[in-house]
Amino acid sequence: MLCNALRTNILYTFLFLSLGFSSAAEVSVDGGKTIFTNVCGQCHARDMKTLSTGPALGGYAESWSEYPREDLYSWIRNSQALIGTGHPRAVELWNDYKPTLMTNNLDLSDDDIESVLAYIDCKVVNGPECTAAIVANGTDGAVGVQQSNSWMYWLIFAILAGLALFLSRVINNMGRIAAHRDGVPYEGKTLAQTLTSKSMITFGIFALVILGGYTTVSRAMELGRQQTYAPEQPIKFSHETHAGVNKIDCQYCHDGARRSKHALIPATNTCMNCHAAIKVGTEHGTAELTKVFASAGYDPSTNKYIENYDNLSEEEIKAIYTKWIADSYLAETGLAELDNEGKRIVDAQWKGLVSSLTNDQKTKIQGPIEWIRVHNLPDHVYFSHAQHVTVGKVECQQCHGPVEDMELVEQHAPLSMGWCINCHKETEVQFKDNDYYNSYMKYHEELASGEKEKVTVEDIGGLECQKCHY
Amino acid sequence: MKAKEQNIWIGEKDLNNDPEFHKELQMEFPMDNAELAEKAMERDGNRRDFLKLMGFSLGAATMAAGCDIPVKRAMPYVTKPEDIVPGVATYYASAIAQGGDFCPVIVKTREGRPIKIEGNPNSSMTGGGTTARAQASVLSLYDVNRYKKPHLMIDGKMAVTSWDNVDQAMRAVLKAGKVRVVTNSVLSPSDRNAMNQFAANTGGKVVTYDAVSSAAILEANEQTFGTRAIPSYRFDKADVIVSFNADFLGTWISPLEYTHQFAKGRKPQDRKMSRLVQVESHMSLTGSNADNRILVKPSEQGAAIAALANAIIGGVNGPALNARASKAITKVAGELRKAAGRSLVVSASNNVAEQILVNAINNTLGNYGNTISFNAASMARQGNERDLEVLISEIKSGLVNTIIFNNCNPLYDYAKAGELAEALKDVKNIVGMSYAPNETSAVCNVIAPVSHNLESWGDAEAKKGEVSIIQPTIAPLFDTRQIGESLSAWTGGASSMSSAFDNLQNAYKASYSPASGFSSFQAYWDSVMHGGGMSTDGSVSSSNFSADMGSLARLVSKPASSELEISFFEPVSIGNGQYADNPWLMEMPDPVTRTSWGNYLAVPVGFDGVRKMIGLNNLKDGDLVKLTVGGKEMKVPVIQQFGQMPGTVALALGYGRTNSGPCASGVGVNVNDCLTTENGLTQLYNTDVSVSTKVGEEDYFSCVQYHHAYGLKGTEKSTGERINADEAILGMAYGKAGYQGSITERSVMYTTNLKDLDSNIAELKEKRAFAQDLNSKTLYPYEEYKADRYSQGHHWGMHVDLNACTGCGACTVACMSENNVPVVGKKEVSKHHEMTWLRIDRYFYGDIESPNTVYQPLMCQHCDNAPCENVCPVNATNHSAEGLNQMTYNRCIGTRYCANNCPFKVRRFNWYDYTTADIFPANQVKLNGEEVPYGADNLTRMVLNPDVTVRARGVIEKCSFCVQRIQEGKLTAKSEARRLTSSDVRTACQSACPTGAITFGDQNDKGGELSKKLASDLNYVALEEINVRSSVTYTMKVNNRDETMDA
Repeated sequence: MLCNALRTNILYTFLFLSLGFSSAAEVSVDGGKTIFTNVCGQCHARDMKTLSTGPALGGYAESWSEYPREDLYSWIRNSQALIGTGHPRAVELWNDYKPTLMTNNLDLSDDDIESVLAYIDCKVVNGPECTAAIVANGTDGAVGVQQSNSWMYWLIFAILAGLALFLSRVINNMGRIAAHRDGVPYEGKTLAQTLTSKSMITFGIFALVILGGYTTVSRAMELGRQQTYAPEQPIKFSHETHAGVNKIDCQYCHDGARRSKHALIPATNTCMNCHAAIKVGTEHGTAELTKVFASAGYDPSTNKYIENYDNLSEEEIKAIYTKWIADSYLAETGLAELDNEGKRIVDAQWKGLVSSLTNDQKTKIQGPIEWIRVHNLPDHVYFSHAQHVTVGKVECQQCHGPVEDMELVEQHAPLSMGWCINCHKETEVQFKDNDYYNSYMKYHEELASGEKEKVTVEDIGGLECQKCHY
Repeated sequence: MKAKEQNIWIGEKDLNNDPEFHKELQMEFPMDNAELAEKAMERDGNRRDFLKLMGFSLGAATMAAGCDIPVKRAMPYVTKPEDIVPGVATYYASAIAQGGDFCPVIVKTREGRPIKIEGNPNSSMTGGGTTARAQASVLSLYDVNRYKKPHLMIDGKMAVTSWDNVDQAMRAVLKAGKVRVVTNSVLSPSDRNAMNQFAANTGGKVVTYDAVSSAAILEANEQTFGTRAIPSYRFDKADVIVSFNADFLGTWISPLEYTHQFAKGRKPQDRKMSRLVQVESHMSLTGSNADNRILVKPSEQGAAIAALANAIIGGVNGPALNARASKAITKVAGELRKAAGRSLVVSASNNVAEQILVNAINNTLGNYGNTISFNAASMARQGNERDLEVLISEIKSGLVNTIIFNNCNPLYDYAKAGELAEALKDVKNIVGMSYAPNETSAVCNVIAPVSHNLESWGDAEAKKGEVSIIQPTIAPLFDTRQIGESLSAWTGGASSMSSAFDNLQNAYKASYSPASGFSSFQAYWDSVMHGGGMSTDGSVSSSNFSADMGSLARLVSKPASSELEISFFEPVSIGNGQYADNPWLMEMPDPVTRTSWGNYLAVPVGFDGVRKMIGLNNLKDGDLVKLTVGGKEMKVPVIQQFGQMPGTVALALGYGRTNSGPCASGVGVNVNDCLTTENGLTQLYNTDVSVSTKVGEEDYFSCVQYHHAYGLKGTEKSTGERINADEAILGMAYGKAGYQGSITERSVMYTTNLKDLDSNIAELKEKRAFAQDLNSKTLYPYEEYKADRYSQGHHWGMHVDLNACTGCGACTVACMSENNVPVVGKKEVSKHHEMTWLRIDRYFYGDIESPNTVYQPLMCQHCDNAPCENVCPVNATNHSAEGLNQMTYNRCIGTRYCANNCPFKVRRFNWYDYTTADIFPANQVKLNGEEVPYGADNLTRMVLNPDVTVRARGVIEKCSFCVQRIQEGKLTAKSEARRLTSSDVRTACQSACPTGAITFGDQNDKGGELSKKLASDLNYVALEEINVRSSVTYTMKVNNRDETMDA
């Protein structure tokens, strides 16, 4: 009996081990590709050779060769911090690319970064065939492999497995000897018997529950998260055109960001500041801008706000704006009368306008535009834009990503608590130029004496529950 | 035999060392098995709920698996108003005025909806304080029960109609003339003008009466000084105050103003304290704050006033007074004479002769011109209920065709409501300009609903010459109009209605002159709007005192010979029913009896000569009795009241509404019809009364007196010694050594008389040193920890001055309003489930038969060594680097260990889903059988503060030191790149307090307001000896009792 129990124990130990390391992180070109597509690829060219919003990544090995690899890590995680320290390579890059900011990637582990670098290397060497090359060569030649410690797990696994086999063999033999001595026929268990034994099944269920629980919890944590959420909006507003091409400051429209908890979707009137003059869009012509006019009650034909607009019927509104669409079409094409294409366009644009500005609850065309919220936090989270923008001087892009390149806005960051916490751990408080922080005498002394390099948000209580939940 | 003097106690159960009570104390939430079973039975929806839950989970699972997260939308403005930034609060100066109640305020609005009332610190009258009623007014705005449209009687049925129809009907009706407008006191000069104008145009009259009358004062002043006004009293300038039954800190005329003044005269730190002597039978809020109380029966009030007049002026031979009171009155007279010119005598009596005597006393003492002045006279009471009597006789003689009730409720709160109701049957047109349905609007055939104070333009002149402007903070939510608008629409043609705003602005055009330093009227107007009001000429002409003193003694009320008398009083919370349909006020416990949701008969407690204190007729708290007053029989629950004069009982007005919002109808009993009248003036007592023995028990006895009691002492049965109740229950040995874990005197409350102050300060110092010595015997020295953790940044703390606190309760309602604290209803309160984050504990001390009272506002003490934090299995409650005891709702799993381990009993558990619109009905409670549970409808939910999480069922909550305000204040300071100052962060309770009793701030800010307060040697920390290191500091309560007066 004893030897049986011992044998199963050994088996379990070894099974557990295999479970343990199979989930350990490691460096892989494949993983690097995923990360590159999700994170880096938005600004950096995929071929690693051409310049995009950000520099071509192919040459990283040469340009960073003079510096320790950790510098490259910090650059990738938080470029502004490294620039702040006066790192020569960082400053050089900043001078070439400012004011474009590189988005922070605080949640990338060393292994993640190595995976990306491996992927870049692979792309440089193999070009578009990189994916095929991975299959052929595995992680061969990738820079990060040496960094991985999974070989250690494999080694331990092999040793323990060998030991388990050996011991199992010994136990089996001892059982046989004991049986022989007692004169009873020895009934060794077959593999099938072992696998269907009670304890084996119990273990199996136990392992399933643990694994299931782990998966459920980690999946549940993902619930409600909307990273990469990019809903179609009622108006095809392009941040790329406004913030990217025309370089309108984010806070010109989102004027709540500096003084309120909400960044605020601008009032239609804010659009009219410019669009009273710019009446036809570069990409969609009259199709989208007419919606703005219809919301605000502006007649682009006469350049006047329509009096008593709130009380107009849908027919009256239709007359005003279809005339404008038609006139614009005629002006553009130089026709004297609407052709079939023109009629189709007028009709389609009017239908689009109605469906964008009305819904079940809001049946009138007049009034506010109902946008779809892209960034949503749960109700029990208190987040203030003013704190981050005005006090923390955080760039919008740090959380929202390269909005100036987004035709359609998508949620860049996971907006998870872990993501917030990570940033609070890393980010340095704007300590010196704000008299508010004078009450932190101790930190000031420590900074002066060099005992402390920087004061992070965490140091002043930025990880405490009631900073965000109350 | 006289009972021994005692240290503090909270009530009879405590003083008598009731074992049941001690057992209850050991449980966080006492509930016996039968009740648990009932609770299970109650939830008859269980099976269906289960199915729903299954359905929900399935749905949720499907959604989680395959579908997108629900799409959330956001609507920006089309044209954004300049002064509104969504997410940032906007404040408007305004005033709350209802009847004679007045409070200058600043209204906090978010995204255009008012959510919180703050006091206006510019007001010299209130100094920025508020009342519970003013705080709660914002909830009435979102009352689901209010009139939403005008109504008209069509074919014998009230039906919703349009204003055009109402106007047409009214114009037709008014042609016949014979119009009466019935109203309570109107503080608004422009509304008063509008009514007078209307009456003149229609050939009618305005009848003014008050729900609780001060007609006798008005008449006495008219007779003696030639001016019908209530003078301006200065309680801060008086060294000796004698009040005959006038609850001037609670309800009498202008309590907010008087409270603010009174506290100024009570500064024991500077060894300067006025002496307040209260002459009464029932312990009122003012009586509980008095240094000495002289007990007289309600019918002896006149005799008492006459006795004082006789002692001061001489020659007034009034009726005989009980011997003890008469001796005390002589003593008081001596004090008053010594403080001539620095004294004040007031009386709430509604007997003209008695009021003239009071005037004569003040005149002889030379108080006019010093502590009393007719300049800046109070306008809070203008009513005369005799006019209602006249109205009744006019109706009977057919002189009245139309009656307009201006937001008043005489069919409930007038002593002769029955007679009036009978008479009204002969009136053809009865118009109710009501806010919400009430007993009077029930008989109306036209309802012209009025807008809420917060939706209106208006003015209020609470004191002559001090005008507050009321500006709307939200557009009318429903189809309502202001009084002036309706009246102007009815007298003129179809387009005669003038807007309230135009009326108001026109009225004040004259007050502007270019000499005022403003370039234009608009600039002047803007400045008035911003500041909240203006000062105009407040002088009132009055003649010298003259009265026929000889006849007065005969005219004062005669003491009755009956064995038992009952007095009626206006409760601090709901007034005489005007505020009964406001759930916040309904649930706010009465400061003295600590009862909520109903009126409880206060019966005296007598000493049995041996050990026990026994209530009248052996009655215990919560017993039902049959009360017979003047032939009317009713069943009322009983509360044993210390300080209630033997031979008297007392009952609150304002309850027992019949046609009201869901939270008031049928709660308590209406006693307005038990009031008597003398010469047409309402008297708040009755001598024809009998109380039976116990006839039953109140189902849900919702007195919070014994809930959440902490650190109490009891009497050890065998020896009779006073020991700490906690350890007595645990059966520990009684030892005086006092090391931790054994018996130590619990420091809950320290009290002293002013003359013993120095010796008591020395004793307190010793006690604190002892406690600190105990605390220093630890492996984890606090000072090191403190230096390490709190030496920089903020370390929040609070100071509560018990000498300034009068127990008015404004802070408790302010806290509910600020922090989305739910209302739970009577049944839940009776189960100790009230959710208040801030409670005001009331303790008695000293002479058992005539005790002094002390109020202790108790909120989470934010202990730096908090016992609650150590026991939370999920770390949902933990400590911040700024010294806050943080509660994280979304982490809490509801084990309630923390509540059990809290030595101060300040943690509250959400037994039900009190505020959210839950999909399971069994999770919600109804306050009083309303159709949709309170708080579940979208209108009521508009009052919620969007910066504070609405807690779900099953989590603990508690005071957060208004962390949302802390964060906001810090952000403001950071944005302006400057250091935080004391005024950046003010908690809701602090800013609501009319006496400045609460100071919140940063202990590290050495020059701040808090640090100054913390320097006082009167300070102590509650339960200091158990080493929890609380962040709240209290002061020793000092009274100025003259013990020679008791003898």
